[in-house]
Amino acid sequence: MNAALEMQGVVKSYGRLRALDGLDLCVPQGSIFGLVGSNGAGKTTALATALGLLRSSGGHINLLGDGPFRPEKHAGRVALLPQDSRFPPHARVEELLRFYARLQGVPSETLETAIDELLGWVHLQERRRSAVRTLSHGMTRRVAIAQAFLGSPELVLLDEPLNGLDPKEAARVRDMIRQRRSHQAIVISSHNLSDIEALCDRVAFIEKGKLVRQDTLEKIMRRAHRITYVLRGGSVPMDKLSTGLPEVTWEQQPDTLTATFTERYTTEELNDAVLRVLLEADVGILEIRRGSDLESEYLRLASEQPPGV
Amino acid sequence: MTKSSHTFWMVARNELGDSARSRRVMVMVLLYLVGAMGATALFITFLQSVEGQLVSSLGLPVPKSAGGVTATLWRSNMFREMLTRLIGDRGLAESLLAVPPLALFYGWLSCAFTPALVMLTSSTRIAEEIASGSVRYVMFRAGRAPWCVGKFAGQAVQVLGALLLSAAGAWLVGYFRMKSFEPLPTAQYMVWFAFKAWIYAMPFLGLALGISQLCSVPNLALVFGFLSLVAVQVLSGVSSWLTGTGWRRIWDIVNVLTPGGHRTDLWWNDPEHLLPAAVFLLTLTAAYLLAGYARFARRDL
Repeated sequence: MNAALEMQGVVKSYGRLRALDGLDLCVPQGSIFGLVGSNGAGKTTALATALGLLRSSGGHINLLGDGPFRPEKHAGRVALLPQDSRFPPHARVEELLRFYARLQGVPSETLETAIDELLGWVHLQERRRSAVRTLSHGMTRRVAIAQAFLGSPELVLLDEPLNGLDPKEAARVRDMIRQRRSHQAIVISSHNLSDIEALCDRVAFIEKGKLVRQDTLEKIMRRAHRITYVLRGGSVPMDKLSTGLPEVTWEQQPDTLTATFTERYTTEELNDAVLRVLLEADVGILEIRRGSDLESEYLRLASEQPPGV
Repeated sequence: MTKSSHTFWMVARNELGDSARSRRVMVMVLLYLVGAMGATALFITFLQSVEGQLVSSLGLPVPKSAGGVTATLWRSNMFREMLTRLIGDRGLAESLLAVPPLALFYGWLSCAFTPALVMLTSSTRIAEEIASGSVRYVMFRAGRAPWCVGKFAGQAVQVLGALLLSAAGAWLVGYFRMKSFEPLPTAQYMVWFAFKAWIYAMPFLGLALGISQLCSVPNLALVFGFLSLVAVQVLSGVSSWLTGTGWRRIWDIVNVLTPGGHRTDLWWNDPEHLLPAAVFLLTLTAAYLLAGYARFARRDL
């Protein structure tokens, strides 16, 4: 697997505080990678350290197969959307993007087209001549998102990309990120797990500067081994399900029934069998959900961590 | 063009544009212009009063505007001899006496006040970017060294612009208020002195941006900038005063390490004096800038 970003045992200390405590990460090329963790878990530090904005105190970083960040090797191939950074207030939007695009190495002949395209994408064509200080918080955030995609870098790191955006703009940005899938590796750090669930194909949970788990979303959400049925009325024949379908663990809530199963069944086989039993018992089915939701998995993993991690 | 030189040009251009849009910089440059024009007007008034006293003591006809008597005095052998003895160097005295008085005044004025202008406009430039985090949008696209040198170049061009603007302002005041004003020679010498003052201001710019690289609070950078300006000027004055023979020659070395130690050489017009002074001043510029960069290159952004 070619990695766009590899971090092995990366340490970042601020005095006695270890913001990153031997962090391991592997972001495959062409993937959309979610970085999930509680406040202060080290997500922002990890992104800034990967691009050399913060100096690591130990460990190894490999960016696009060319070692740690070096401007001569990586400038123009990577990009970052920082979380809380502001733009120079007097700069006009188009001038700012032009400056970043030139530094990014966008050729002069395609520069204006690239800026037009990105401003169109973030719905800011009409404000291209405005000074940054006259923009709202959400608009400034959209300029920040646009700059991260200038010149189609191979690796884009987005720190809380949808923060401060209205629902309509957030949906547009989500669509844009989805369209970029497989063209570039995108790392999204976010507290919003539904965004991560909607966008990412791989996820890493980090806590206190350490990797807790990293896997495909498919595996983390146990999509291949878990089905939840949202029910309406009727009595679930649990004895019939338990005897007819061995090696399945059942969790019954007032309105839901969750089956967690082993490799013995495929999802389709198990679903067919369960549906047959429920329909025979005249149990109404409102919804069938494959796998868990990311929030539950995150909370489950967090609760399993010993106090030191 | 290499990646570093491309970055340097891009950053320098952007810095100049961004600086020109900054209200604070604009206000400072305008104040500098108004200050130069005001000081020139005061100088002409002073000349007028001195001339008035000369005229009344010698019983000469009263001139209609300032400069007439000064021009005559300037050319007199008695005054030239007096100035030569005062300066202690005939060559330098002759060189200064070739300069129109207003241009000479402008030369002194620009050397005296440009360091303060530099500190006011430039000492916060990098610290502001670190504080706001805007540096984070650039540092994955550019090397730290070409970025810093580009910022320096942008600021240097801005200082030159301010000096030429103030020279134009002072020239206009002289043109309208001074009799026996020589427009062309005065303009030529003013531009020449603006350029010399620019070279003299470069170590202060290096100092300002060196300090700016160390700070993440712009106001702190401004305070430290001014403290360092005062320290360097005091050190220059004290070292030139304390210098002597034996162990006191160490003050010569201290003096050479301050911009003030090379200011007198800038008054000369021959390359034997000007070139070493310019080389020393530019070396000091690089040293001050590099001292800040040594920390900036390793700091977290």
